[in-house]
Amino acid sequence: MNFIPLAWMAPLMFGGLVLFMLVGFPVSFSLAAVGLFFGFLAIEHGYFSFAFMQALPERVFGIVSNDTLLAIPFFTLMGAILERCGLAEDLLDGLGQLFGPVRGGLGYAVVVVGAILGAITGTVAASVIAMGLISLPVMMRYGYNMQFATGVIAASGTITQLIPPSLVLIVLADVLGRSVGDMYAGAWGPSMVQILLFCGYVFLVSIFKPQWVPGIPRESRTLHGWPLIKKCLWGIVPSLVLIFLVLGTIFLGLATPTEAGAMGTVGAIGLAVVHHKQFSPTARIAGWIALVVITVIGIVALAAPALYDELRAWLFIAFYAALAVVLAEGIRITELRKLIWQASQNTMRITAMVIFILIGSTIFVLVFRGVDGDPFIEHLLGGLPGGAVGFLIFVNVFVFFLAFFLDFFEIAFIIVPLLAPVAQKLGIDLIWFGVLLCVNMQTSFMHPPFGFALFYLRGIAPKEIKSSEIYWGAIPWVVLQVIMVAIVIAFPQLVTAFLDKGNNVDPDSITIEIPQSDFQNRDGSVELPGTAEGEAQEEEETPPPPDFSTPQK
Amino acid sequence: MGALLGFSRAIDAMNARLGWVADWLVLLSCLISAGNAFSRYAFSISSNAWLEIQWYMFAALVMLGTSYTLKKNEHVRVDIVYANVSTRAQIAIDIFGFILFMLPATVIMAYLSWPVFHNSWAQGEISSNAGGLLRWPVKIFLPVGFALLTLQGLSELIKRIAMLTGHMKADLHYERPLQ
Repeated sequence: MNFIPLAWMAPLMFGGLVLFMLVGFPVSFSLAAVGLFFGFLAIEHGYFSFAFMQALPERVFGIVSNDTLLAIPFFTLMGAILERCGLAEDLLDGLGQLFGPVRGGLGYAVVVVGAILGAITGTVAASVIAMGLISLPVMMRYGYNMQFATGVIAASGTITQLIPPSLVLIVLADVLGRSVGDMYAGAWGPSMVQILLFCGYVFLVSIFKPQWVPGIPRESRTLHGWPLIKKCLWGIVPSLVLIFLVLGTIFLGLATPTEAGAMGTVGAIGLAVVHHKQFSPTARIAGWIALVVITVIGIVALAAPALYDELRAWLFIAFYAALAVVLAEGIRITELRKLIWQASQNTMRITAMVIFILIGSTIFVLVFRGVDGDPFIEHLLGGLPGGAVGFLIFVNVFVFFLAFFLDFFEIAFIIVPLLAPVAQKLGIDLIWFGVLLCVNMQTSFMHPPFGFALFYLRGIAPKEIKSSEIYWGAIPWVVLQVIMVAIVIAFPQLVTAFLDKGNNVDPDSITIEIPQSDFQNRDGSVELPGTAEGEAQEEEETPPPPDFSTPQK
Repeated sequence: MGALLGFSRAIDAMNARLGWVADWLVLLSCLISAGNAFSRYAFSISSNAWLEIQWYMFAALVMLGTSYTLKKNEHVRVDIVYANVSTRAQIAIDIFGFILFMLPATVIMAYLSWPVFHNSWAQGEISSNAGGLLRWPVKIFLPVGFALLTLQGLSELIKRIAMLTGHMKADLHYERPLQ
């Protein structure tokens, strides 16, 4: 009965997937259909039993009951609100005027603001749109080269992807079966290097092509002295509060990334209210009260822990009450109510779309493993010259080109689960691998003509700016990005040095035996025997099922 | 054709309603999740039921919202070919895809996921966490979601055929969703 030998199934499946995706039918359904079709084919051929397919719904349930993935809607919602809450305007206006007179100053301002926005939110769209709307007109007015201007805005927007709390890192952590906290910790080094690299490029441009990035004449500054500083603070202080609310709570172990995203959304709504011109005087008082109370909480918690324990509940009640008054403004003011509602609608559809890609790819990957897909991929990639480094270079070139056609969600959900087992067998630290892929996938936003960042920019750029200028402008930044990838490959310490030493295992010392087909884990990632966590689990009598959703920090 | 289009409109209306519910679930789950963190800060109170309800809502919003997302044509495509062919060819791709890819897949998934709900319901399965919730109310969203998606797929198929035969104005607006 065997028309198709087992050895052909995996390549046929992979080829079928590529073909069907190219046709242009929605990715999620193509994945599911290819997976199911080959699943039944495999049952027909006796490669596995029907019970195998019955495991599928449990996997799907595993996805929709995953607390960590809940961060996707929250961060998306937060980004959609932040995009139009006026924070980016304040930051760019203040820092732009501060740096403006320096040659290339607006470029530095955009990179810095991109990094700050990146540390608050997790979505690229929010940063690029906000910065494009504000900085592009200013840069045009003062005679910046338009290729440079659009390039720096698009590239700085993609910093968001790498700098925690990035959505990509959450998704990659989930796919690779690592904790989000570790992933975030590992991304710090590379994101700092990236900011320096971008600033360095702006500096080089200001030396070799000074006419591209003229300094703004000092007379055109509208603010001087104290008002200018105040303007800068008005942008930076709320940013720091939001960064603490989101990143700080994650790193202090106070909240899960999911909750941090939710709190960030609440913070973003509060910020949008405070910035709105219809913000009522009563609520303004409540806002000040909230600010004072939270400062008191902070001081008491640090200075007098005993007193803090006693007063904590009351202080927080006061803070929440004041916050509630401020948030109620978000319902009262029609414009904000519409903004929030629209943001929820967009968020819902993006979430459903993304999660369905994951559902489709889970079905595909499960069947792919069932027909010995892992040995097939290993056979393809394991024999590359140069061992681990050869593999990494190949994978990065591969992902770089794939990023022309696929978005990061598709790459993360479809390709990464196939690559991870091979990476692990080669003794590559999965956190490092994930961060590396994350840096690489930033390019998927910058590739002409499909890159998202360029696409957003085209949507908001004035008509005078030609599409070709936006496309050409992106090229140097894509080159910088490739340099970044090389740096991260060459210096794994950039990632591993920031990891918690207790969990960190020297990548070279790991020897891992991966079960050939592993159907146990819900998200398609393989279990990790041999790592620190794996050994700890073996010591217990009944090892708990791996739960990747709890942050370790 | 008229009757079929009526059927399609009814499905569209139903899934639009459910999409509205899903929109609300985004906001509600977000507030609940923030509330969980807030109540932990202030009172060190943390309830498994409230922690679970947020991913119950997540499951519901994904499974209920996906049909409306399909109606809005916002499931992401690889549009190298799709964006560069005529509208008729796009309709043909969609008809081919709905019949051969999507509908079989969603029917199979609805069929396979029914026992997941049914077993949970029959056993009265309860979360293993202290104070956790009954499981079947969230598991029911799997078969229901895939069934709704099947219906929406049928509705889209009907509309595409109507476009091809000229019973309906061809309007296939596809824009890659923002991220």
